[in-house]
Amino acid sequence: MTQRASFLRRLLSNRSFTIGASLVGLVLLLALLAGVIAPFDPLKGNFRARMMAPSLQHWMGTDQFGRDILSRVLHGARISLQIGFMVAIITALAGVLIGASSGYFRRLDGPLMRLMDAFMAFPSIILAIAVSSVLGASVINVIFALAIAATPHTARIVRASVMVVREMEFVEAARALGAGHARILFRHIMANAMAPLMVRITYVFAVAILNEAVLSFIGVGPPPPAPTFGAIIANGRDFIVAAPWITVAPGLAILVSVLGLNLLGDGLRDVLDPRMSVNTR
Amino acid sequence: MKKTYLTLAMSALLVLTGAGPAHAQKKGGDVVIGMTAAPPSLDPHATSAQVARNVNLHIFETLYARDEGARPVPDLAEGVTISADGLTYLFKLRTGVKFHNGKDMTSADVVASLERYRKSGASASLIGAIDSVSASGPNQVTIKLKTVQSTFLGNLSSPRAPIAIMPSEEAAKDMGKASSIGTGPYKFVEYKPDSHIKITRFDGYKPNPAYKERDGFAGAKIAYIDNVTFRFMPETSARDAAVETGQIQLNETTDGPTAKRLKGNPNFQVIPVLPFAAMILKFNMAQGAGTDLNFRRAVAQALDLEEIMAVAYPDIYRIDTSWVYGGSAYHSARKTPKQDLATAKATLAKSGYKGEKLTFIVHNDRPTVDTATVIQQQVSQIGVNMEVKVADWPTTSNLGLKSDTGWNLWTHGFGIEPYEGPASAMSHWVKGQGQRKADPVIDGLFEKFNSEMNVDVQKKLFVDFENQMNDQAIAVNMGNYGLFQVATSKLKNFKAYRIPRMWGVWLD
Amino acid sequence: MGRFIIRRLLASIPVLFFVSLITFGLLWLVPGDPASIFLDASATAEALDRVRHELGLDRPFLVRMGEWYVRLLQGDLGTSLLLNRSVTEAILERLPITLSLTAMAFVVSVLLGVTAGVMAAVRHGRAADQSLMSLALLGLSIPEFWLGLVLVWLVAVLVPIFPAGDYVAFAKDPLQWARHLALPTFTLACIQMGFVARMTRSSMLEVLSQDFVRTARAKGLPEPYVVLRHGLVNAMVPIVTVMGIMVGALLGGAVVTEQVFSIPGLGRLIIGAVLSRDFPVIQGGLLFLALIYLSVNLAVDLLYAAIDPRVRLG
Repeated sequence: MTQRASFLRRLLSNRSFTIGASLVGLVLLLALLAGVIAPFDPLKGNFRARMMAPSLQHWMGTDQFGRDILSRVLHGARISLQIGFMVAIITALAGVLIGASSGYFRRLDGPLMRLMDAFMAFPSIILAIAVSSVLGASVINVIFALAIAATPHTARIVRASVMVVREMEFVEAARALGAGHARILFRHIMANAMAPLMVRITYVFAVAILNEAVLSFIGVGPPPPAPTFGAIIANGRDFIVAAPWITVAPGLAILVSVLGLNLLGDGLRDVLDPRMSVNTR
Repeated sequence: MKKTYLTLAMSALLVLTGAGPAHAQKKGGDVVIGMTAAPPSLDPHATSAQVARNVNLHIFETLYARDEGARPVPDLAEGVTISADGLTYLFKLRTGVKFHNGKDMTSADVVASLERYRKSGASASLIGAIDSVSASGPNQVTIKLKTVQSTFLGNLSSPRAPIAIMPSEEAAKDMGKASSIGTGPYKFVEYKPDSHIKITRFDGYKPNPAYKERDGFAGAKIAYIDNVTFRFMPETSARDAAVETGQIQLNETTDGPTAKRLKGNPNFQVIPVLPFAAMILKFNMAQGAGTDLNFRRAVAQALDLEEIMAVAYPDIYRIDTSWVYGGSAYHSARKTPKQDLATAKATLAKSGYKGEKLTFIVHNDRPTVDTATVIQQQVSQIGVNMEVKVADWPTTSNLGLKSDTGWNLWTHGFGIEPYEGPASAMSHWVKGQGQRKADPVIDGLFEKFNSEMNVDVQKKLFVDFENQMNDQAIAVNMGNYGLFQVATSKLKNFKAYRIPRMWGVWLD
Repeated sequence: MGRFIIRRLLASIPVLFFVSLITFGLLWLVPGDPASIFLDASATAEALDRVRHELGLDRPFLVRMGEWYVRLLQGDLGTSLLLNRSVTEAILERLPITLSLTAMAFVVSVLLGVTAGVMAAVRHGRAADQSLMSLALLGLSIPEFWLGLVLVWLVAVLVPIFPAGDYVAFAKDPLQWARHLALPTFTLACIQMGFVARMTRSSMLEVLSQDFVRTARAKGLPEPYVVLRHGLVNAMVPIVTVMGIMVGALLGGAVVTEQVFSIPGLGRLIIGAVLSRDFPVIQGGLLFLALIYLSVNLAVDLLYAAIDPRVRLG
């Protein structure tokens, strides 16, 4: 059996991966179909149906505008997943750029890592709040802020893998044969970093969803009427005592999405590199 | 004998009808109040923030103060004599008033405090008409004005950033550096940032003998409570839970649905405070779509005020588009505008608006953000495309108050001005302050109002102002809103006002 | 070891410098200033300018920046613009509170997490293992501020066992101190418990499969002794490394937890300062947090070296 096929088979027989993938797949499906399956317009309020508890008509109740929470959660899944996905991609790109340069070019290593250390010394929430305050609250800026917060650790992981391979013989051989730096980096070294990077990115995705919620909670998240998970929770937090359903539903949605992604990440790690650290949040 | 019987019969009658002293005030006890934020400064001259007033007006007093009906009445002054030409005010001060440090209040302290405020007080422009202040006797202060100002006593008694009387040594200190030493019924104990401020009853306090009871910010301020602690609890849920569990005795602000839960509960009293402020929508008339009268009118016509207020302030709003509150002598019942989408679309078509994206700025306070969200929805129905930009207060106010670019609409609460009176309400729109472009009609009306002593003429001037605001759609007054206060039933005789007054109340 | 410590301390200086530069950069870009907190919406532009002048904010940015660095070298972090005290005072007042919360959460998550991890490792592959690890993963996936809100609703309002917020100093009333910290501690610890449990389990599994453990068992030593004395002690090494990250995560999580429960700690101080633009507090507070973070990392590395003699420092 080819290596790729056996890899896939191991992946699919890993319980963590399959459960995680199913959950994520479910959330993804619901998000994609939100426009079709959501019973109400998530942005339109119904004056007469304000703050109603969950009922047959509104499965998750309504908020103070009379908007259907279920519809908002479904549409919110789309935006929150988009944010998480974009953060993951940008973090991957930035992490690779910085980590690879740092790991491969010894002279860049010192200053780059000191800079990364400085960013890591900021609690990521505060960094994200500051960046959002500076750039203004919008989906793009939130993505940017969260990516900045997640990049340093990712860069470190990439750097570590690059440094391990850098010293190996085949790299010396390639250089002796006249291969340029870029080629060595991309053809040979990055292949080694792929595994931990992929696992790390799954966790970054999960954490981005969580952190977007925190940013909305603090008040620097995407502006209304965007129904991101965090925005729905933030919207209902004044009414937690009188209308708890506004907050409970989106929180559970976050829980399911993040749980799925975490399981996915665990599964990937088990198959790709069981020796990797369990904690990469 | 007959007299004794008569007396007995009278007493019996009094007791039976409860016309005798019905209150059994109990001295003692501690009250903890849950407040939304910490005051930015404990120097009363330095800030006009509501939360600062909540605390400072227990510690400090002013020459004149507003009574329950918002009229200026003597507080630290005994009275005033105004010269015939209206330019000289001779204030006679009360005697025997002590500061918290034991010192007697004299005219020197009053003059020092006034001068300090004139120089660098947060709302110094309020007393900008003053030409000179001098101590014309140990208990007399003379103020000379540059021009006649019918609203001078009103301005002097403005609670906004109160012109508090402090000892002259404190008044000599820089803004923000004065210690919290006043003449009020409570004195400052401690301030733990992010946590609380504690004040305690000042036993050397003598309530104003000219009054029998409390009256707004004036009157006889009798403190029965021993200690009052203002806890800063920005999280609504924490405040709500804290009052229910008895951690605090008064929740200064909560919303309708939460308060409703406790309505029938004998352990709590739910106090609706309405009106507390007006919700206004301002246009940037200096640049962009806001310069166009038809655009502004179209937006105003597209609004459904009932929907906006019901979402933002459930159960605690009143549609009233007058620029002062009901109960004021200047209040007039104005027609409530109804949403008229057809007319709005037609008006919009007459304007120069081409569908471009507009910026609607708000600060991140739930009701304000919700207001903007509803408005955004409503105007989208006539084709106006608005993007709501939520930011914190420093960013938003900086943009709205200082910049002609970067925003088209701004909504926020307009609280103390309608309470203070017509001049206050008008002053926000003078010289284009609020709308970023001066309106000569309003500026003219304001000047006339200030120099007009006749109340009937004033009323007419104010109606003209309200009509101008409406016709030119300079801003939309969407209605009054308020808040709910929840207290333990043990807190007796509490009556809500612009601040949670802890005098005239007791625990039982 | 002394040389290692000194080298690390020296290496922290550029990091701290970068932190302050990043902070200044952000502050330069951020619009607005604390003047607007002093005044309400009825303020005039002219009043704003006046307050700004009183606060010394109308001076050129580079001048203010230079002044800050000069003061820093003298050990002075400046005075808060809104809190009426020095930045150092403001931080020190709140430090014990955040430390109480973080320490309690740390202890709870380590105790419960390690116990869960050990139990899961010992019962590897069986029901207990699955359920414990599922719980751990669940804990990791919960947004902590949401958990806090829900707990406030459930435990403070519906069934009032614990108070919903605030802080009582230990010195004033130990019982109330504990009661007030109960909910926020649980909220914070919930997530970290998950990490510790998973880490412990995987570490234990690796150690327990090694030869020396088999030998100990073959020698007839009682199982609990083997698991704890031989297994856990050797498994602690990677757990200790994680502890450094944990403290960082707890500090970050404390920021939000403090907000939900109205606890006057460092987190609220800094968030409040960011939202009201209290520049000196933002500068000083972030620098201080960075200092804590670096110190904890250093402590963890030293601990690591102390536990594992194979590790050579530097």
